[in-house]
Amino acid sequence: MVVVESAGLTDVGMKRKGNEDALFYDDELKLFVVADGMGGHQAGEIASDLVVKTMKDYMVRFSKKGEVEELADSDKTLSKDANRLISGINLSNQVVYQAALKKRAFQGMGATLSAVYFSEDTLIASNVGDSPIYLIRNQEIEALSVTHTVIAEQIALNQNQNSRFGKEYSHMLTRAMGVDETVNPDICELQCFKGDSLVIASDGLTDKISAEEISKIAQSKRPAKACRILVDMANQRGGDDNITLIAIKVKQVLQQRKGMMNRISRFMRKG
Amino acid sequence: MPMLTLRFKKDEKNLGDFVVENGKSLTIGRLEDNDIVIEDLAVSGHHAKIDSVGDKFLVTDLNSKNGTLVNETLISHPRWLRHGDIIIIGKHYLVFAYTSEEDQPEDVHTPLQDTMIRDTEQFRNMRGNSRAHPQSRHGTEKEPVGVLSFLAGGEGEIELTKKLTKIGKNVSSDIVISGLTIGQTAATISKRPNGFYLSYVGGFSKPKVNGDTVKESVQLNQFDTIALGSLKMQFLIKE
Repeated sequence: MVVVESAGLTDVGMKRKGNEDALFYDDELKLFVVADGMGGHQAGEIASDLVVKTMKDYMVRFSKKGEVEELADSDKTLSKDANRLISGINLSNQVVYQAALKKRAFQGMGATLSAVYFSEDTLIASNVGDSPIYLIRNQEIEALSVTHTVIAEQIALNQNQNSRFGKEYSHMLTRAMGVDETVNPDICELQCFKGDSLVIASDGLTDKISAEEISKIAQSKRPAKACRILVDMANQRGGDDNITLIAIKVKQVLQQRKGMMNRISRFMRKG
Repeated sequence: MPMLTLRFKKDEKNLGDFVVENGKSLTIGRLEDNDIVIEDLAVSGHHAKIDSVGDKFLVTDLNSKNGTLVNETLISHPRWLRHGDIIIIGKHYLVFAYTSEEDQPEDVHTPLQDTMIRDTEQFRNMRGNSRAHPQSRHGTEKEPVGVLSFLAGGEGEIELTKKLTKIGKNVSSDIVISGLTIGQTAATISKRPNGFYLSYVGGFSKPKVNGDTVKESVQLNQFDTIALGSLKMQFLIKE
């Protein structure tokens, strides 16, 4: 079992009127979600809110029922928990997509989604869009998310050729929640260790603050304090966009005790 | 400990003796960061390496430009080293020899040991449909494929198609190994956006990568050797 401590914070920033970001974090459920909405007339707010709420409801349903049936469309390359998370993402996508179809004002709305979910002893990170998920382990910071923007994908395809696209493309997404009937999230699952820190953010934060700065603060401060400091920093540097982040610290990873060697090891520890 | 003696082909001049230790890896190449540096433009930056696997030693060509020969045969797969083997790299050669007083591993001479890595193409066809979709539903872009090639404790290769591959005693593991000291899930390999990582999970036996014990998590690099209990594997990335 994994024990985590987390905190989250969202801020409208210095320039925008509304906040199109949404977030959800729960140490018991071990689900952490950030969504960054897009679309005019408050539609962006609706989209990100729908994504986060649907994710939460779906995962709560699973955790309450305990062991549930295998998912029909499960991906064999993923664990059961990762499949659940993917199903939640697919459902959220459908909810936003259907809402956008129903109301004219909602046409073209969408959102990014970045989620972290802890299973028995692993962490699962999945994302759609450009809201980063960072893992900080042994003083090193690494992105567990894949950036789905025109520029990032262009660079990934052709590393030598410098981007042909100008700055106006920097936030043009190649994948988003709610714009299509189906969605294609990137996902990874890895062993989780005591002392790991994770940060999920919207680009309003990461446009202003470097990964190294995030790494330093996330490691040295408790989650709530880290969130406050990072949001204030982004605002001091202009706060051009909404700023949102969730900071998570892994406090403990308890191994399931099974098998003979474990019984012997426990016995020896007692003696 | 066996010894590698580096000589220049032309005049057979001895350019150095290198001890090959149990549990340690040696790299051979043109660049300074190798254990055995050969200053010759025909030698790749990182040309080949020697790994210790159990009580035996293995030579692997690191996709070098001009290749590595053992006893005048170009090696395409990692190869076990025997007393008196000659490794040829460019205009140099290395003689692998045990010192006279030490015991040589016995089973190194059995021909079976040389063919433990099965022809991948054939093996893939054989397994054919039995495997899950090689490409998940996530897009069609070409991703590098991680492969584990058995050196001991199994045969053939395993493609790391899963996001998380489990190794352990539990029957639901992707790679099942037995042993009193092996954990139910002993180790996992996860596919992350920037590569493959091996993590220790539980049990008395901790995995070793290139002879170094893994206590938490390490990134896997091309041709790394992984040891856990009786299991010995080599990690490969195929584009």
